[in-house]
Amino acid sequence: MSLQPSDTAPPAASDPTPDRSSAEPSHPAPEARPEVPVKKTRRSGCLAWLLLVIAVFVGLMLIPGGEEEVAEVAGEFELHPIIEIPAIGPIDLSITKAVIYLWITVAIIVAISIVIARTLKPVPGKLQTIIESLYELARDGIAGSVMKQGAERWFPFIGGLFFYILISNLIGLIPLPFGEHEQLAFYAATGNLNVTIVLAVFTFVFTQYAGVKAHGLFRYMRSWAPSGAPPVLKQFIWGIHVISEIFRLVSLSVRLFANMVAGHAILAVFFAMALIFQSYAIAVVLQGGSVAIYLFEIFIAFIQAFIFAVLSAVYIGGALEEGH
Amino acid sequence: MEADAAKLLGAGLAMGLGAIGPGIGLGTLIGKAIEGIARQPEVAGELRTSMFIGIGVTEAVALYAFVIALILIFVA
Repeated sequence: MSLQPSDTAPPAASDPTPDRSSAEPSHPAPEARPEVPVKKTRRSGCLAWLLLVIAVFVGLMLIPGGEEEVAEVAGEFELHPIIEIPAIGPIDLSITKAVIYLWITVAIIVAISIVIARTLKPVPGKLQTIIESLYELARDGIAGSVMKQGAERWFPFIGGLFFYILISNLIGLIPLPFGEHEQLAFYAATGNLNVTIVLAVFTFVFTQYAGVKAHGLFRYMRSWAPSGAPPVLKQFIWGIHVISEIFRLVSLSVRLFANMVAGHAILAVFFAMALIFQSYAIAVVLQGGSVAIYLFEIFIAFIQAFIFAVLSAVYIGGALEEGH
Repeated sequence: MEADAAKLLGAGLAMGLGAIGPGIGLGTLIGKAIEGIARQPEVAGELRTSMFIGIGVTEAVALYAFVIALILIFVA
């Protein structure tokens, strides 16, 4: 879905960088803009907006909750069904806040895609510049630079993963009213092991599919062991490769899950610390710390989406390449 | 020692000891990557990509320790 603007994006993508657009005579417009002051106000405005949001959130955290309630750090990750659906056998399909967060993620991605696709301009606006540079990162920085072959074919999956995880992580840093008693609270869908395992299973299945499709089942299986080794060693290495292939599932899913949970737990601890100590002096110091941690979490949200997408690209690219 | 106390102690030890290795690893990794970028700024982009892949793989070790700590506290 995030690929909607893709077909038309590349020609306009070179516009935001001033040195490249000056090399292209076909787009003289960006040079006329005063680059430096615009950038400065935009960035500081963004930062001020962010700090305001954080301050408001911190205030909301501190005012309504009693100590006992806020100090409960683990409560964020408890899932209570919001809409109960009777379970089918062992599968419980109730709508929890995790499901709602996934819906919100999808809705945001679809909305951004539609808006961008409808309003594509040769001289990009703010949103278009952001989306274009992210798109360029996903296409050239992740799929293009990591996969030696098949980057074009597998970019939709890699890019989709990147955008989905990125948006999902970032939504996790906005307080939404899905906490206990409808309080504003943090939650990230990617901080739920079920979600990350499903994403990792997608990568796993597509990796095997790509390998089998490129080389045929038996050649792909044989390519897991080096061809020159003696037979006993070969079987041993083959077994190790099977284990490592399965362990990728664990490492991919647990990495994203644990990063999100750890980040949110640290945020919650920082926010709750002032209440635990019952002191204004500590509160003032810790609020600074909370803001720093919050900014760091934004960075982590981005890095984790990047790493998940890059590793998926590495795995799929490896499967395509093996067997020569 | 009570079982709960042992659990909490184990969780703390798991997280603390589990963070040593990845800490050293990340320091080496990022330091080397910056060294490489300083020597050859023209390949900075590629180095950065591989650095992030390395960070992801290394950092995962600490996160396993974190998951074990969580399991010790809430599940075990």
